[in-house]
Amino acid sequence: MRETPLSNCEREFILKNISQQRRLDGRNAYDYRDLRIAFGVSLGCCHVELGKTRVLAQVSCEVGEPKQTRPHDGVLYVNVELSPMACPSFEQGRQSEEGIELSRLMERCLKESRCLDMESLCIVSGEKAWHVRVDIHVLNHEGNILDCASIAAISALAHFRRPDVSVNGEEITIHTLEERNPVPLSLHHMPLLVSFTFFSQGKYMLVDPSSKEEKVMEGKMVVGMNKHRELCTLQVTGQMLLLKDQVLRCSSIALTKVTKITELIHQALDNDKQARSKGEKHGFAVLVSGDKVTANRLPKIEVNVEKFEDSDEMDEGQSCSDDADAQNGIEELEMQTEAAPRESAVEILTKGVGVIGEGGASTWLDIPQENTKQQAAKKRRYKSVAMEEGIGS
Amino acid sequence: MSVDIRLASSRPAGADLYHGDNPGNIVTPGDIITADTGFMRGHGTYMEDDCLHASVAGTVERVNKLISVKPLKTRYNGEIGDVVIGRIRELAQKRWKVETHSRMDSVLMLSSVNLPGGELRRRSEEDEKMMRHYLKEGDLISAEVQNVMSDGCLSLHTRSLKYGKLGQGCLVCVSPSLVLRRKTHFHNLPIGASIILGNNGYIWISPTAQDKSEESGGYETNLQPVPKSDREVIARLRNCVLALADCKMLLFDTCILYAYEASLKYAVKDLLKPEVAVEVVDLVRQRLELEGS
Repeated sequence: MRETPLSNCEREFILKNISQQRRLDGRNAYDYRDLRIAFGVSLGCCHVELGKTRVLAQVSCEVGEPKQTRPHDGVLYVNVELSPMACPSFEQGRQSEEGIELSRLMERCLKESRCLDMESLCIVSGEKAWHVRVDIHVLNHEGNILDCASIAAISALAHFRRPDVSVNGEEITIHTLEERNPVPLSLHHMPLLVSFTFFSQGKYMLVDPSSKEEKVMEGKMVVGMNKHRELCTLQVTGQMLLLKDQVLRCSSIALTKVTKITELIHQALDNDKQARSKGEKHGFAVLVSGDKVTANRLPKIEVNVEKFEDSDEMDEGQSCSDDADAQNGIEELEMQTEAAPRESAVEILTKGVGVIGEGGASTWLDIPQENTKQQAAKKRRYKSVAMEEGIGS
Repeated sequence: MSVDIRLASSRPAGADLYHGDNPGNIVTPGDIITADTGFMRGHGTYMEDDCLHASVAGTVERVNKLISVKPLKTRYNGEIGDVVIGRIRELAQKRWKVETHSRMDSVLMLSSVNLPGGELRRRSEEDEKMMRHYLKEGDLISAEVQNVMSDGCLSLHTRSLKYGKLGQGCLVCVSPSLVLRRKTHFHNLPIGASIILGNNGYIWISPTAQDKSEESGGYETNLQPVPKSDREVIARLRNCVLALADCKMLLFDTCILYAYEASLKYAVKDLLKPEVAVEVVDLVRQRLELEGS
């Protein structure tokens, strides 16, 4: 089924905001959405979430004949599956133009960058070699499938272990997983794709577009890089012309992003390896814990309350304290509990300051009269100064 | 400015909202309708193990020997004579492809539109090249269903002067099952706004056109700035329509007017709050029951 097209108002609104450096979800122009990498129980299974876009990659291998032209190399297959589960406009089975472009880019990223050592996949030259297959399934499409898919594919390849092979003269034994520990694939480097979208004839550029931004974009550039500053892939699509320094600037932005993401991947791989070696629970089930009250809750969203005027509404107080908690790193107040203190009027003097006492005379010690008057005056002055600061900021 | 936070559990549950009669024969996908093999199966059913099952959630309808399930939430299925509002998606040879929230894009043929200069002109090559001048991608039009083709694709026409390109206003999208087939779908409300209830669930709210003497064939859009009072009326109407749609009330001009009158004591943006919406719809329901009985 085809998607409902974006209305003219929405299109103009998004473009106008982009020209004023604003995005619908409040990110900066070069910010990625939240990236979450998780590995499954089976080796070579990786699930990546980039905001709401979700991609699952699975690596598998089998023994087969090498290619005629390359008898000493193994074979790598890359396949991207777009199903109606991701988006109603994708059709099952039939490869749309977008699907073909995605498949081709993923192939180029993984094969032509020579990240995987193909010679190590050869068992008997000219007769037997490993066929490694990367299947990428898009589970949800909320923009920027390509970046998500490349992260998933590389993480899955790094996570995968193939059965061990031993050669005894003419005899070749492929050991099962019980006999010998499986062996990781030899990955030279991790090439990752970063997408840049352009608007207004190349004047404005955004990284990691959401689905709405993708619908109004004029052109797209995909840069594939690894953290060693090596450019692996470059593709420009759309109706626009780019200047040379724009392309160079984009590749340097891509470098910072790729370095960060590679670190994240290594961290996730380490965590998984530790969990497996200690015998702890690992896999996707760990991410979904159903016995907590907070299951099925939405991730924390930070609300910017700086520009709001100081008023007597306790709602403002609620959101202020929420912000304060976020700053102090305390466990955030659940949405459920915030509704309870609606009746009480909370007066917050300055943002992020927890006022313990409510002013007034001290009830601890016997202090002579003049001092309490001075203290009260000081407190009043502090309050008025704080109020002014609160409004002025 | 204040931020509203409310408990998810205090939201009114769906069961409390429905006040009508119990239709009695609602089925969900997988329910067995009958084990009798003497019936022919219609849309929304399938046969398994000699039993007739429902494949969609809806009400069972029986016509002699034909059993079908009419779904509650569905894409728009067109009938001849329906008024629809659609958005031009693309231009093809001698036709426009219009998106009307149905399973396939509807088709507006070049020969089914009013061209300026009279009705009986033959469509020439020039007209084909000027198609984009009349209607381009992204434009909203109101049209009538002329024909339903064998694959379910709708053929539209704008042959009357009341149909054509829509100018300034607000589009509200609701489920098609909430808009009944009535004698007229174009209403000029006495509060200064006109409303078009499309059968496909698209509702267009616009300021009332001041002079009725525009006989341009519906392609000239009035781009004069709309005054603020009119904008407020339109915004309030839009929120009322959304409130009625959320509570699954059937939409027609009377109930929208009642909802507008009941909402006057709230600010326009307060109508977006769930509890205010439920209250307004309750008032409308009571008033409709009073008048009906």
